[in-house]
Amino acid sequence: MDLNIVHIVLWLIAGLASFSFSLGNARVWTSICVGFVLILLAEVIPAAIPFLPGLQLPQVQALGYITGTVAIMVITHGFQEYYMFSRTLEVEGQKLHVYLGVLAVLVASMLFVLINPTPTSETLRIINIVENSCWVFLSVINIDMIRKIYQAVKDTPISRGFIAFMFVFGFIFLWKGAALYVQVYGLDMVADQFPVRYKISLYVHEIGNLLTSISVGATFMILARLLR
Amino acid sequence: MIFLPRGIPVREKVNPARINLPEAMAKLRDGSFTGYLRFDSAQGTGVVIFERGKLVSALYIAADEKERLIAYDAIARIFEISILGNATLNIFRLVPELAIGIHALLHGSYLYRGQDLKLVNIEGLQRRIRDEQISGCLRVYAEDKVVLIFYEQGHSLGFFHDGGDDIVTTADLTRSVARLPGVRFDLLETAYGRNLMLADLMASADLGPIWQRTRKLLLDDRRKSEEKAIRSMEERQELRRQQLLLQMKAIAGNHIGKFGISQVDKAFSLVGPDIRVEELAKFYDELQRLAKLVAGPKKINAMLDEMKQQASSRD
Repeated sequence: MDLNIVHIVLWLIAGLASFSFSLGNARVWTSICVGFVLILLAEVIPAAIPFLPGLQLPQVQALGYITGTVAIMVITHGFQEYYMFSRTLEVEGQKLHVYLGVLAVLVASMLFVLINPTPTSETLRIINIVENSCWVFLSVINIDMIRKIYQAVKDTPISRGFIAFMFVFGFIFLWKGAALYVQVYGLDMVADQFPVRYKISLYVHEIGNLLTSISVGATFMILARLLR
Repeated sequence: MIFLPRGIPVREKVNPARINLPEAMAKLRDGSFTGYLRFDSAQGTGVVIFERGKLVSALYIAADEKERLIAYDAIARIFEISILGNATLNIFRLVPELAIGIHALLHGSYLYRGQDLKLVNIEGLQRRIRDEQISGCLRVYAEDKVVLIFYEQGHSLGFFHDGGDDIVTTADLTRSVARLPGVRFDLLETAYGRNLMLADLMASADLGPIWQRTRKLLLDDRRKSEEKAIRSMEERQELRRQQLLLQMKAIAGNHIGKFGISQVDKAFSLVGPDIRVEELAKFYDELQRLAKLVAGPKKINAMLDEMKQQASSRD
């Protein structure tokens, strides 16, 4: 069985769990859930390239990477809001505004890609590096922020959900970190010279992706259960 | 208690708090009024006597009879009980001789006091008055009926009974008071003669400043006690609010942990000192909104039910 199909299926499950959770819960969860749904888009686009001809268009690939970047931004924004809530008990805004805001960013990104020259493979590589950099560094920041949120809410029913999120970002760090490492050192170009570290990086990337998708789906299911 | 027969009523059952007493007394002076003003209150009784427009006598006796004031001290205290608002003023007209007689009686010294008339040999008593040539007054009273019998040098001058304005020689009413159950009498010796000339207290001092000073002091006292009452009510309300807040926090702590306590702290700011029902309803709504971020509906509802039960058990 192709690993890409496994990834797609797992991310579909994770995305659905996340989206359904966002619909049934408080506004402060909306950004976090929408961010994880965007990962689904960002993952499905490149993973589905072999099965859906037309997706190999450079603009579509660029949009996939940009969507991934937007995803981690929105997730981080969501956790930042939750962190603020845990400190001040203040929550503002409406769910609809979050949906519309994210949609507007995606439309603007699409326009940006369309009005610019067709991305070359080097351009796509740089966009992907930017995406992976955002994921890696924001994952570390999110782990620390979630730790602080956990400290604030640790004796509430939902607190274990935040421990699960720390694992999610740990897996994301491995998944995206491995990819970034390969890209920054160009290991895919010199794989024959450094076969071990290249292979380890690929394995970490694949396993990280797998564990992330599983842990995202599981985390939202745990959260739904805790908030029942 | 000052026992005096009622004269001819001029004004009855007036609330002196609604009157500017110095002005009213000035009008009595201008009208050459003769008679007495009687102020009754829970604190004590005051009597102010006018004779041909002159304020000749003022007496105040506290209800427990521990305080007896005369002249300006009495006037000041009479003003005080009047301003306090729970006194009753009755004004009775008398003839000048009777007004002086009343004054003499109020300042007389007791030979007998509060004696049971039925246990006394009336003839023996009259003989003693005659033999000792007592000048004074025999006061017979039962319930709210009073009659006075004036004597001079041991000879009876006559009676002053309820509703009259002069000394009369008939004794019908005296007999009717004497027949009432629990009738008692006082015998007072008076130092003043009937034709005594007395100083006008209104001529030697302006009553206006006494009235104003008393009024100011009482209003200040009233304001202070009202402020104190408000403060203590506010303190009680705040204490009650704090107790409820503590109970709500304890319940939240049990259901959704320490974070729930902070949420109660925040949401409870919607509840004022008098803990109104609508404020509590807003508090529950706000708490529910906040709690939804960390707990499920089942836990939240259980918590709110317990809180509502706690709040209603306090009412």
